[in-house]
Amino acid sequence: MKEYTTVGKSVRKLDALEKATGTATFSTDFSLPGMLYGKVLRSPYPHARIIKIDTTEAEKLPGVKAVATYQNTPRELFNTSATMTFTVPSLEPVLDQYIFDNVVRYVGDEVAAVAATSERIAEEALKLIKVEYEELPAVFDPLEAMKPEAPDIQGPCREGKNIPGETVKIPVGDVAKGFAESDIIIEKQFKLPIQKQAQLETQAAVAQVGVDGKITVWSTTQTPHPTRMILSKIFGVPHSKIRVLNPPYVGGGFGVRIGLSAKAEPIAVALSILAKKPVKIVYSREEDFIASDTRHGGYVTVKLGAKSDGTFHALDLRAVLDAGAYCSFSCETPGVLGAMGLSVYRIPNEYYYGHSVYTNKTPAGAMRGFGNPQAMFPIESVVDMMAEKLNMDPLELRMKNIMKVGDPWCLPYPCQSTGLAECIEKGAKSIGWERRGKLNKPGAKKLRGIGVGVGTHCSNAWPFCVDYDNAIITVQQDGSIHLASGVPDIGTGTSTTLPQFAAEVLGARLEDVNITFADTQSTPFDIGSHASRTCYAAGTAVVAAATDARKQILEYAGNLFEVPPENLDIKDSEIYIINQNLGEDCKGSGVCQIGEGKKTMTLKELAYHAHLRNKQFIGVGRIVPGNAPPWHAHFAEVEVDTETGQVKVIKVAAAHDVGKAINPVIVEGQIEGGVLMGVGYAVSEEIRYDDKGRQIHSSLHKYFLPTIEDTPEIDAILVESNEPSGPFGAKGVGETGLVPTAGAIANAVYDATGVRFYEIPLTEERVYKALKQNGY
Amino acid sequence: MSNTILSFTLNGEFTEVQVSPSDMLVDVLRDKLHLTGTKKGCGKGECGACTVIMNGEAVNSCMVPAMKAEGSKVETIEGIGSPDKLHPLQVSFMDNGAIQCGFCTPGMIMSAKALIDKKAEPSKEEIQEALSGNICRCTGYVKIEKAVSDAAKQIRENL
Repeated sequence: MKEYTTVGKSVRKLDALEKATGTATFSTDFSLPGMLYGKVLRSPYPHARIIKIDTTEAEKLPGVKAVATYQNTPRELFNTSATMTFTVPSLEPVLDQYIFDNVVRYVGDEVAAVAATSERIAEEALKLIKVEYEELPAVFDPLEAMKPEAPDIQGPCREGKNIPGETVKIPVGDVAKGFAESDIIIEKQFKLPIQKQAQLETQAAVAQVGVDGKITVWSTTQTPHPTRMILSKIFGVPHSKIRVLNPPYVGGGFGVRIGLSAKAEPIAVALSILAKKPVKIVYSREEDFIASDTRHGGYVTVKLGAKSDGTFHALDLRAVLDAGAYCSFSCETPGVLGAMGLSVYRIPNEYYYGHSVYTNKTPAGAMRGFGNPQAMFPIESVVDMMAEKLNMDPLELRMKNIMKVGDPWCLPYPCQSTGLAECIEKGAKSIGWERRGKLNKPGAKKLRGIGVGVGTHCSNAWPFCVDYDNAIITVQQDGSIHLASGVPDIGTGTSTTLPQFAAEVLGARLEDVNITFADTQSTPFDIGSHASRTCYAAGTAVVAAATDARKQILEYAGNLFEVPPENLDIKDSEIYIINQNLGEDCKGSGVCQIGEGKKTMTLKELAYHAHLRNKQFIGVGRIVPGNAPPWHAHFAEVEVDTETGQVKVIKVAAAHDVGKAINPVIVEGQIEGGVLMGVGYAVSEEIRYDDKGRQIHSSLHKYFLPTIEDTPEIDAILVESNEPSGPFGAKGVGETGLVPTAGAIANAVYDATGVRFYEIPLTEERVYKALKQNGY
Repeated sequence: MSNTILSFTLNGEFTEVQVSPSDMLVDVLRDKLHLTGTKKGCGKGECGACTVIMNGEAVNSCMVPAMKAEGSKVETIEGIGSPDKLHPLQVSFMDNGAIQCGFCTPGMIMSAKALIDKKAEPSKEEIQEALSGNICRCTGYVKIEKAVSDAAKQIRENL
């Protein structure tokens, strides 16, 4: 494989210095002269109608500058998610949210907001708002919410009781015939928990509305451009009069702000319009828990049929997900769950049916993995059960059935690369698969086990959602490179990786490349950072822009050097003639004409030469990305304490086919972080509700987020299959670390104890009870 | 309650600032002294993003009433190094890829500094214990632990 100068190198992140010295600016750090502070009044009821709302006393409190309710803010429907307000036809947008409504649908739903000269005054003012509610019947479980007697949470729905949007059906072959022809069939239902992104920076926005009506919003969004479109719809202001940007850093995302940052942006804008001053809103951690999107919990059923030799022959997958009170991403998530769940194994007969169901809980939306972890814990559990029934090694069974390049599948793009077999081989070696079954002495109270889980994912959202990218590269008059891309850097290294692409294509030194990102005013449209897409898709646009600029540079230089452009190359920001040895006389090359004795020219010299002749090199990249499957195999070793029910994860070997690691240390970091989030999903993280619809786990401590002391040994193994459609062979990696983790851990727990779990997380309580029921 | 003047040593400089008795140290640092390197992730002592060093101990500055800092020595991320003379922990976090979104980073570095100021050769368990109150959701902690271990080694070798 070609050795690159910048691509494939673990260069230090370009934002690291600012972040290590405390000078990096985040939304929560941002302030403006005369700025007010906003606070939100939230519903104490899971479902109620507002009969009367009186803000008189709140408005009288000194320091209060505006109070916003449904009565004085736009009555324009929207969806907080980046993709649903403007979804792809023939799908119809599900628009079910106002900034404030006269009906509240979950505990934490927005009722009113106050802008005041301090947060403390704003909080005091909230207590002075008098609200009279009429309580309505509420429902908290998606299966209950589908029953005819359940309350309508969003009015009548076309496809069934409380079902937002359209149900997803994916047919492949003839599944009834497939099961009829199968020798062994296993069918199981699984229950999935509600997980929280718990990114470190809570939702935040600062809005400034100018006297000319122009709106500027600094916020934590993962998608500045789509967020601008949603704000434009809500406030009836043209796109060109709204600017949305990150300040420029965002304290994590994991999907929670693909679109609006909960409702921080529109509430801040509404208050700013009323108060005629800039307004800052920072959600408390509790607000972040109860009033920003979660991962979808719900129910997934897997029915797998196999021939007696282990060949998978039929798969029926069904999902009922808990949407919470508003749609957000509840139409797309069941789609990804099905599409990914059906695409790991080569099975001729498959069927998927899935949808979400409204309940009176915090809305569920996008979270890292986006439905895929909900598919793979059940599927990988059933695959292990099948291996046991067939008396086959789980690895052998997987190797026999995994998707290969060129295999037909349900996805509307081809599988052009897979390194899954290599991932399985390397992961098995790292964990010591051969030790499986020989780990425990008779009578041991702490039992060890090893398990495996595999999976795939996407590298962007096309063709499921609108998904395209632009980038502009401008060679400055001093030869330095300015790159403009609309994607944010939510911590995944975008602001380093994209310049690496530009530097590689242009032959420029990395330190000569500077990037402007996450700002609608100074970058062309980009859908944003989600769907493991930023490196793959925004990277493709950057490569296109750099290729365009390079062409212009070499044409200009070729003209100057009097050689064909294809005889020129650029290295270390210097243009030279290919195959002309150093020290060789330049006579006849034409280069002598531009300077005595010179046979190369720096980008700096060339750019200035061009400038003096009224020319600048500007490369434009406008692309619609392809799509590509990343692959991964996780191997977990666990220790189960049979006396306490505690599951301790000892090691996770996480082998990932990433296509090409553009910056290996960044890629490892994505995998390690994803693995630990997957460990949390498997063993401790869960939001449950009490019978009044209130979250029981509404803070970091109550929620049992993994700490450094819960971190197992993680061996991130990179496999490079060189994806033809990706920039320099890369594909997505941002989400994949937690896709197969819970399955691997649950299978390891079964290996240790012989007890199969159909519900996660594997908390002490749940495991202890199950062990007792199974004779421990 | 009336406002009062808080006097303390902040990053080596004598500092006076007007505070209200209900102010927490984190808010004084961020809002009144504009040292926004110290982050606020929960306001309840649950995430560690606001960690500063007070009289040699790592503390959650969101749990410290500002008045408690009277006469104390407080160090924040802004005080431990500058771009031309970085603290070894800052360099190590950068070089190990221990920084992703960066929101936990200042708190992590301050907890780590409090540890290695006292313990030149911390064990893996001691590093984990010292950082157990600092939540990072991005990295899985793998590279953070290595960054702290490497920085301690770096400091020992340069003594």
